[in-house]
Amino acid sequence: MKPSPGALALKYLFVLLACAVVLYPLLWMVTMAFKPYPEWTTVAGLTWLPKEPTWQNFEFIFYGQAEGLVVSLDRTITGPLVASLVTSICGTLLAVVCGTLSSYAVVRFGMAQSLPLSVLQLRLFPPLAVMIPVMVMWAFIGAVDTWWGLSLIYGIVTLPFAFWLMKTFFEEVPVEIEDAARVSGCSYWRVFYRITLPIVKPGLATCALFVFILNWSDYLLALLLTQKEWVTLPVYMATLTSAMGGQMYGMKAALGVIAAIPPVVFGLMIQKHLVRGLTFGALKQ
Amino acid sequence: MSSIQINNVTKRFGDFTAVRDLSIDIEEGEFVALLGPSGCGKTTTMNMIAGLEEPSEGEILFDGKDLSSLRIQDRNIGFVFQNYAIFTHLSVFKNLSYGLEVKKVPKPEIERRVQAMADRMSISHRLDQPASSLSVNEMQKLAIGRSAIVEPRIFLLDEPLSNLDAGFRAYMRAELKVLQHEFGQTMIYVTHDQIEAMSLADKIAIIDQGKLMQYGAPLDIYNDPQNRFVANFVGSPRMNLVDGELREERGALHLMLHGGAEIPLSGKVRADFTRDGSVHGGSFGVRPQDIYFGDKRGSNDIAMHGKVEVLERVGPKRLAYLQVQDTLFLAFDDLDRLRVGDEVPFYLPSDKSLAFDMKTGRRLGGA
Amino acid sequence: MTDHTLTDRQPTDASRGYWQRVARDGDKMGFWFILPTFLLLLFIVIFPLFMQLYLSVTWWTPLEGIPWYSAWEVFNWGENYWFLATDPRFWGALWRTALIMIVAVPAQFLLGMALAYLFIDTFPGRKIFYSILLTPMMIVPAVVGLMFFLLFQGTGPVNAHLGLPAEFSWLTDVNRAMISVIIADIWQWTPLMFLILLAGMLGVPSDQLLAARLLGGSNWQNFVKIILPRMKTVIIIALVLRAVECFKIFDLVYIMTKGGPGVQTETISVFLYKQTFGELEWSYVAAIGLTILIVLSVIAAKGLAYMARKQG
Repeated sequence: MKPSPGALALKYLFVLLACAVVLYPLLWMVTMAFKPYPEWTTVAGLTWLPKEPTWQNFEFIFYGQAEGLVVSLDRTITGPLVASLVTSICGTLLAVVCGTLSSYAVVRFGMAQSLPLSVLQLRLFPPLAVMIPVMVMWAFIGAVDTWWGLSLIYGIVTLPFAFWLMKTFFEEVPVEIEDAARVSGCSYWRVFYRITLPIVKPGLATCALFVFILNWSDYLLALLLTQKEWVTLPVYMATLTSAMGGQMYGMKAALGVIAAIPPVVFGLMIQKHLVRGLTFGALKQ
Repeated sequence: MSSIQINNVTKRFGDFTAVRDLSIDIEEGEFVALLGPSGCGKTTTMNMIAGLEEPSEGEILFDGKDLSSLRIQDRNIGFVFQNYAIFTHLSVFKNLSYGLEVKKVPKPEIERRVQAMADRMSISHRLDQPASSLSVNEMQKLAIGRSAIVEPRIFLLDEPLSNLDAGFRAYMRAELKVLQHEFGQTMIYVTHDQIEAMSLADKIAIIDQGKLMQYGAPLDIYNDPQNRFVANFVGSPRMNLVDGELREERGALHLMLHGGAEIPLSGKVRADFTRDGSVHGGSFGVRPQDIYFGDKRGSNDIAMHGKVEVLERVGPKRLAYLQVQDTLFLAFDDLDRLRVGDEVPFYLPSDKSLAFDMKTGRRLGGA
Repeated sequence: MTDHTLTDRQPTDASRGYWQRVARDGDKMGFWFILPTFLLLLFIVIFPLFMQLYLSVTWWTPLEGIPWYSAWEVFNWGENYWFLATDPRFWGALWRTALIMIVAVPAQFLLGMALAYLFIDTFPGRKIFYSILLTPMMIVPAVVGLMFFLLFQGTGPVNAHLGLPAEFSWLTDVNRAMISVIIADIWQWTPLMFLILLAGMLGVPSDQLLAARLLGGSNWQNFVKIILPRMKTVIIIALVLRAVECFKIFDLVYIMTKGGPGVQTETISVFLYKQTFGELEWSYVAAIGLTILIVLSVIAAKGLAYMARKQG
């Protein structure tokens, strides 16, 4: 079953080529984050590694200013960072709780058999096609630029993923186990809470991480529903410019690096289940 | 077709040695069975012949040539899997033609050969149907036909009949034998079922824990087992094998069984035990068919005394379980006279009994 | 006390409401379990749908100075829809979105398929390379937009490494802006195709592949004759998923080019965004949105019906 050395070499060639293509933009952004202002463009000659690596960019976004830089920010990263964290976590909680409960009801109690498909359809439409009423409503109930307003929409928008993921996990729990508990006298709630949930705990964790990644990665919804106080990391990053500093590539790169880390870490952790989550359970790894 | 020489092949998986120093010579056109209990290494050996695994040591030669440099797809080895591995998404026709298609055989010839093979395997009425719709028995025939159509140099079959129902199994056994003669194929057949091996094979290689226990024609293995394992493994019902220590007493040699009883040795079997002076204990083997009741027939036959514990009907005959102290002997009640509870004398023919060394299990004496 | 009869059981009936068949009072808990989701859907789907319909047939914008529920005051009998039918900017955006989809999705598909083919058999380092190759799709899309924004700057690395002058612009050039966006999309989502297609390939029974190889089939022949035919469903899933997401593309485009230069890279989502926050034509956007909704729902329904028929 061993390939010939020639075929193996060819395979490595292509794989390495693909890896190079994959890493090229990433490495560029990471190295950019450590480059001082003069090295941001070809004007002074462009290199991969910073000729004079610096923490300046990071300092700047965390403290609002850094030595050697004339410009300063009126808001640092801490606000958006907290905003991203809070809204992602709360949105995840909402999606996972609702998704878990309702998928269990569909799987075991046969309720609302149209729910799986209707929930799937939520993902079909471009957000902007349906956001006008949401924006109006949010303005009406004062949810614009609030943590709970954003969390609410996050929870709703990622509910389909949570629902379908947990549905596949619940379908893998043998009914016999829950039966045995029922026959021993457990109420439906006890069966769910004490038997089923512990069994799907890893699935639950996967689901939570997956949904978190989706919420954290959002740009458009935050753009629409926040203005100042609760701007999230991606929005903050995209609008980071100043009258004096111009486009601020280095700082944006630094922000990009910070923003990119959690989803990559979590993504690698749940790598095994990515196929399942992304295809709504149609495929498993 | 090819001859195969397995020369001192050893296969290790990490710490575990699956095959130890195995050497078997298989001639062109021979039907050889690899027989042994589960996990004995027969499937690993088969995989090494097919090229799916590589020996850690030793070599496997086909017509004197080492094929290990060839890729699997170039070895032209027919392989029938235990679960058939039929291409379920293709029709029966396409399954049969696969091996020819990948060799770019021209279409009219493919048609001809597929039709011929389907006729021979009696599945031509299913040619256009999806392979997944076949019955288990038909799938078996398809699997064999698919491999045979490319005229491989050898044919490997991995317990191919174990999934079939009993009636069909007997039929397929006969079919396989006919096919083998027709194709003139060298066939290597892996099984744990000794009846299958005994009835199908020209030669049987008995393997236990990676080691070759004996290699020979079925009748030789049956009549002349080279060690305790083979004697125990081959034969239905099992040979009586009882262990004990040798004790000399006033010129008479007894085998003191661990169960408490003793067998007075005489005649050929006594000579076998005493031939090698270093032997102190061993196993005494006698087939149930050879134990008899009634009058003593041979002057050297050994007289024993036992109680009939159980009588079991096996087809037209009855098996008697004779208790001698803590040892149980199986014998056939061919005169149909015994009753449970009877205390009866029975005889062990000394020329048909076998002696085995306690330590090594090696057969003492010769045929 | 238990109302449960073991003799009623059907094997693996989990997805058909197992307990609903054998007991009645499970319904109560099921009801409470469904309720939160149901309320959310009502809140976010049903109600807004009506609101959107309502607004779409008026001239209402937030500039009007009247609250939304009084939009009937500027009722317009669906003139928004007439306008939509002839709005060149809308159709241009639609065309551009389609263009991206037509180029990017097949490209990702083929590249993903090729990569998946390489990864069928094990080889040293496979796991690590696999993780590396999956990374792009885990990067926050806005950050991907930033990365390629940095890359395609006139004074950026792409020009530097290709030996092009700083005036050679990618993001502000009429033709190349689109190419830049497409490249970014391909970079980000090929790993997804790779992931899904590989999962499909590995789902092919390995003993059949072995049998094919023993019959003389080379890797390529086995791939075409055994693996590919069995991947029909997976391929459809991958293509549909990606096409749907590609239609919605926003983050990448907006951060890289803001839809520019001019409207050269203005996709549907970018167009709608600009109408919402730039022109503040909210009722128009409502009309467009509703139209898109209806069209997509019809397509989806037809697709599902087709799949249902094929299943038997």
